[in-house]
Amino acid sequence: MIKQNKASKIIDVTLTYACLIAVAFVFFFPCLWIVLASFSKSGSIYSFRGFFPTSYSVGTFKKLFTDTTMYNYPRWFVNTLFVAVGSCLLGTFLTILTAYTMSRFDFKARKPMMKSTMILSMFPSFMGMTAIYILMTQFGMINQIWGLILIYAAGAPMGYLTQKGFFDTIPKAIDEAAKIDGANAAQIFWKINLPLSKPIIVYTALTSFTWPWSDFILPKLLLKEKDLYTVAVGLMSLDETEFARFAAGSVFIAVPIVILYFCLVKNMVNGIAEGAVKG
Amino acid sequence: MTNRFKTLIKNFIESSWRVKLSAVLMGGAQISYGCIGKGLLFFLTEVAAVAYFVNRGISDIEGFFTLGTTKADAWTGTLGDNSVVMLLMGIFAWIVLGIFVAIYVTNLKDALAVEADVKSGKKPKSFLTELKELLDKKFYITVLVLPVIGVCIFNVLPIIFMILISFTNYGGSIVPPELVDWVGIDNFKKILTLSKFAPTFIRILGWNVLWAILSTTLNYFAGLGLALLLNKDCVKGKAFWRAFPVLAYAIPGFITLLAFKFMFSYGGPINEIIRMNGGTAIGFLDLDAKWSARIIGLIVNCWISVPSIMLLATGHLSNRDMSLYEAARIDGATPLQQFKKLTLPFMLFATTPVLLGQFIGNFNNFGIFYFLRGGLYLDGYFLASDTDLLINWLYNLSIDNNYYCIGAAISLIIFAITSVISLVVYVNSPSFKEEDTFQ
Repeated sequence: MIKQNKASKIIDVTLTYACLIAVAFVFFFPCLWIVLASFSKSGSIYSFRGFFPTSYSVGTFKKLFTDTTMYNYPRWFVNTLFVAVGSCLLGTFLTILTAYTMSRFDFKARKPMMKSTMILSMFPSFMGMTAIYILMTQFGMINQIWGLILIYAAGAPMGYLTQKGFFDTIPKAIDEAAKIDGANAAQIFWKINLPLSKPIIVYTALTSFTWPWSDFILPKLLLKEKDLYTVAVGLMSLDETEFARFAAGSVFIAVPIVILYFCLVKNMVNGIAEGAVKG
Repeated sequence: MTNRFKTLIKNFIESSWRVKLSAVLMGGAQISYGCIGKGLLFFLTEVAAVAYFVNRGISDIEGFFTLGTTKADAWTGTLGDNSVVMLLMGIFAWIVLGIFVAIYVTNLKDALAVEADVKSGKKPKSFLTELKELLDKKFYITVLVLPVIGVCIFNVLPIIFMILISFTNYGGSIVPPELVDWVGIDNFKKILTLSKFAPTFIRILGWNVLWAILSTTLNYFAGLGLALLLNKDCVKGKAFWRAFPVLAYAIPGFITLLAFKFMFSYGGPINEIIRMNGGTAIGFLDLDAKWSARIIGLIVNCWISVPSIMLLATGHLSNRDMSLYEAARIDGATPLQQFKKLTLPFMLFATTPVLLGQFIGNFNNFGIFYFLRGGLYLDGYFLASDTDLLINWLYNLSIDNNYYCIGAAISLIIFAITSVISLVVYVNSPSFKEEDTFQ
């Protein structure tokens, strides 16, 4: 009986590891493929043998930053960075404030506001886009990068629920104590709750940074000049023969995000789980 | 609500002439009782509102109903009405009117409150105290002003605008300088009956529902399975194994999608290998590649969404009550039974909102087929292809081809479908029905 158990355990462990290796392969292989392709010497996908380029060099990366007449990658990169940082700062600020008030204050409009954000989020995100496109053309705000920041940041507070879930877990007793000591609501928020909510600020900042960093619909709608493109739109406009350039450009903007995620994966798990239960 | 309104009216009728002055000249009562700062603010609001409505507000509201009467004529040099701008400014005027009414009611309430204070012998609050309240008791007002304005301009206004557009004939050849008109529910009738739209709509809707169900189920169970796998006791180096899905999670979606498009393209590595082994290249994403393109879409979507579900499920799995499993093992339950009777119900309970979000997200998954097979128009479909979801069709119609009103009507239909599904699922979900099962 015990022997049989041991045998089945070995089979179980082997199977588990086989699955794990398969999963790792499935997730890792496309990434590896792109990274290697970005170092390909010839640049075209047609010169690959099977999955991998025949010869390697760093030429594509050099070309990406120097050959800017057709595809101005450095410019796109600066644009993307500007939009992402701008909407991250503004969006995080607005979202945290909204979530905090929704969690801590009880006022007449609170329930109706929560319900209406829920209804608003049921509309296809796209629907607003068409209207925003029409509005922006009417007001001549096409081809304005700050217009993008405005739209991203203004939409950010709509996703306040995760953050509200977090603030709900900070005990209110601390607030009461501070109030007795004579602090007003603004001070309680600024001096007591804000320092306690570092993880959720990190989470919010990360999500509101990555969204503009990798969004393509809005910039594609609103930015019509090639020099104003963000990286996402720019990479989409690449020709199929420019595969290595696409790969290099992708690797270059994916790497910072990947590093950020790996540093903050703990925050992500907790952030997602906490917001989800209370959703 | 009506009760509160009634008491407001009653108090107003019983009040002194000062409050009644406030009803005509806002802030009158406040000023006459000595609250000059606040009274002046109310008064200035009234002046500004009157100036706005006299100057353009009233004609804007009129324009909202007519949507323009004179057409531009280059011959006679008449500048025509721009219906779209008129609709927009009309909505704006309604919003201003709403805000003004709200301020007006606040003004009356405030006047009554000041009078009550004075009558009971108290000194009415000074302007400075009220400003200080904005940092304390009424801090929420100060804080929410900016987000609310932002959401109103960039979320609410566009949505209202599109809802209204779906009841007009805006789009196609009818764009300014042509005049747009209200057409009632014609657009919805067209989508459901006109031979141009109806067959496409039905086909896309069918595939869309199938896609949402298939991809959500697939992603959910794959993600849950992966989380359980990584959670097994015998797995050493969990962080290492978890790194691979997290890597996939971190890469921006459009890069993944474009990369997969390259991978399955004619010159891509998969066809290369097929050719090297003596086969002929397969157009996985070609015009006639209905099911292979759909299946590739499902798999690619799985690759993208499974890691996030895995992370989420990992978070929840650590909240399980392990003593239940101990008891089950002693009673001789097999791992499969444990999964079916313990893990699954718990996970479904904990993740219903997420599952619902996933379903809605997949139902409206724009990126997948836009990148893999964007811009194809097939026979038998009106400006769409057999992998397109409603949201892709919406994009093709309204952004690429100016069918604004039809697009808006489709948005409303999508909204109706998703909200009904959400409501039904939510009401029937274990987390709603048996709130305390697992608590």
